Amino acid sequence: MNRKRTALSVAAAGTATGVVGLVLLAAPAGADEAPPTLPEVSAEALVQSVLTSDVPALSGTVKVSSDLGLPVPGLPTGDEAVRVYTDGQGKARISMDQGRGEKTVIADGATTWLWNSADRSVVKYDSAAEHRADRSTEEKLADPAAVSLEFITAMRADSTVSVDGTAKVADRPAYQLVLTPKPTERTLLREVRIAVDSETRLPLRLEVLANGSAEPALSVGFTEFATGAQDAGLFTFTPPAGAKVTDGNAEAREHQPTEQQKKDFLATINPKVVGEGWDTVLVGTVPADLLKAEVSGKDADGRKAAGTPLDLLKQFGKPVSGPFGTGFVITTKVGTALVAEDGRVAVGAVPQQVLVDALGQK
Amino acid sequence: MTAALDEPRATARRAPLTRLLRSELRMVLRRPRTLIGLALLALVPVVAGIGIAIATGSSSGESVGDGLASLVEGNGLLLPIFGLTMSMTMLLPLTGAMLAADALAGEAANGTLRGLLVAPVGRARLLAVKAFGVAAVSLFAVLLMAATGIVAGLLLLGGDGMLTSSGTTLPFGAGLGRVLLTVVLVTVQVWALAAVALAVSAWTEHPLIVVVVSLGVVIVSGVLSVIPALDWLTPALITTSWEAIPEVVKDPLPTATLLTGVLRAGCYILIGYSIALSRMLTRDG
Repeated sequence: MNRKRTALSVAAAGTATGVVGLVLLAAPAGADEAPPTLPEVSAEALVQSVLTSDVPALSGTVKVSSDLGLPVPGLPTGDEAVRVYTDGQGKARISMDQGRGEKTVIADGATTWLWNSADRSVVKYDSAAEHRADRSTEEKLADPAAVSLEFITAMRADSTVSVDGTAKVADRPAYQLVLTPKPTERTLLREVRIAVDSETRLPLRLEVLANGSAEPALSVGFTEFATGAQDAGLFTFTPPAGAKVTDGNAEAREHQPTEQQKKDFLATINPKVVGEGWDTVLVGTVPADLLKAEVSGKDADGRKAAGTPLDLLKQFGKPVSGPFGTGFVITTKVGTALVAEDGRVAVGAVPQQVLVDALGQK
Repeated sequence: MTAALDEPRATARRAPLTRLLRSELRMVLRRPRTLIGLALLALVPVVAGIGIAIATGSSSGESVGDGLASLVEGNGLLLPIFGLTMSMTMLLPLTGAMLAADALAGEAANGTLRGLLVAPVGRARLLAVKAFGVAAVSLFAVLLMAATGIVAGLLLLGGDGMLTSSGTTLPFGAGLGRVLLTVVLVTVQVWALAAVALAVSAWTEHPLIVVVVSLGVVIVSGVLSVIPALDWLTPALITTSWEAIPEVVKDPLPTATLLTGVLRAGCYILIGYSIALSRMLTRDG
């Protein structure tokens, strides 16, 4: 009987261990960890060290997540993990899941290769400079260093820059650099937080927080981060047999608009920047025929979507009128867009009234 | 007496474990449904290979499908991995559940479990033998699928290495290693579901209930994992690791993700066998 009781308690302990294991797997890592203690640093010194820091050889996983509060249903919430590797000397490898395939970008110094497993295609770019212009925004977001630097330089004039404690990002102690808009700025954003690695001084995470919500509206950051020499084989690429290889440079030249086309396009759009700092508003004009053109296509879920862009605006936007006439406004947590019925458009990280004012300034 | 000569003296009084395991295996493999199931599973990669070979032969340049399927063309070593990940959605879990259902509930339904419970074999030992039978036959099923997949892939689709989804080409040996890794990962996941099924199997006398409950677990996990509000639950769901198995064709290998999947399966194995053990010990025959 004693053996039976022992065996039963072993079984109970086994069940408990299994359940605890599952709970640990489900629990977010380091959720209730005390922030690490780091030597004090002034905001200026921190920004300076970020601006002068070099990217060492590293590997990591970057996660992009957004909660923009768009009124459009069916949009992806955008939780994407991107693997990045770099040797710190200009060679890099980025790979991300796209749908059910995988996209890999390999920059081996002289050539940049773009591999897409879904259709086994390879796009080859010869010079690194041209490639940079062609990079999609998504790939740019995968590089938190570049994103954060752009923010700091642009925002210093209109923001308070401060160091607000420390945090643990990707299991590394980091300073929290916080950019808060000056009280005179009329913006939807509450603050931008940049976690700076205490050792390498690389930005590890960028968070954009909007007024009225505790969770970041946009977050780009490392979930895994490790410095150290990388396998050189990661940065070489040979197009596999049977893959379609296209020359990206030639393709880009073919589709390059002529100077006249560019000029015409700019003349129709007529872009204008109103205001500066956090309440910058971009004003432009969408050609009226484009707004009323019939668009048919498939949305993210594969359903047929048809109608003019104006119809879509009526569906998702809120009608608004002011000195500029009438139009529709679409509000998200981090920004507002206003489209007037005559085709004028104003976009900015600002409340609706600022957009109305900007359109009225004309 | 002959058996006792092969075994150390301490265990000679009880039936030797190897003999029990061997007889359990023989019994599982002698069931017609096991054999038919194994034969059908072995056919899965072959049928998939023929389908892909025909599809690529008729439409040149068109992609055959999405995900792994688009990579299998001319890339034979990927066929076993494709077949295994495809079967992981339903066929292999079903096999594991069926084996676990037969192991205890099936015996109870036949009335033969009573005999086993009063036999001079410890109950924990009996459960271990039954669990071994389930685990060994599921491993065999996965190995069989991998073998027919490799042969069918090389014959029908060709290829002398393995093209990974990251665009690199692995040499034949390393590609074979990836297939073996897939076998291990898939087997562990089947074991996890079989452990849960065995726990149910110990509680009921109806094998059908075991299969239904196991499939229910799979389907409910699948549904829970797509509800955004329950995202926090996803890392604990049994099916989460199944979706990560196709990542074995990435280069470099995402070790952390795959290891987490194995740990998750380990938790389920521990829970399943522990519950099965406690029920077996308290069962009244």
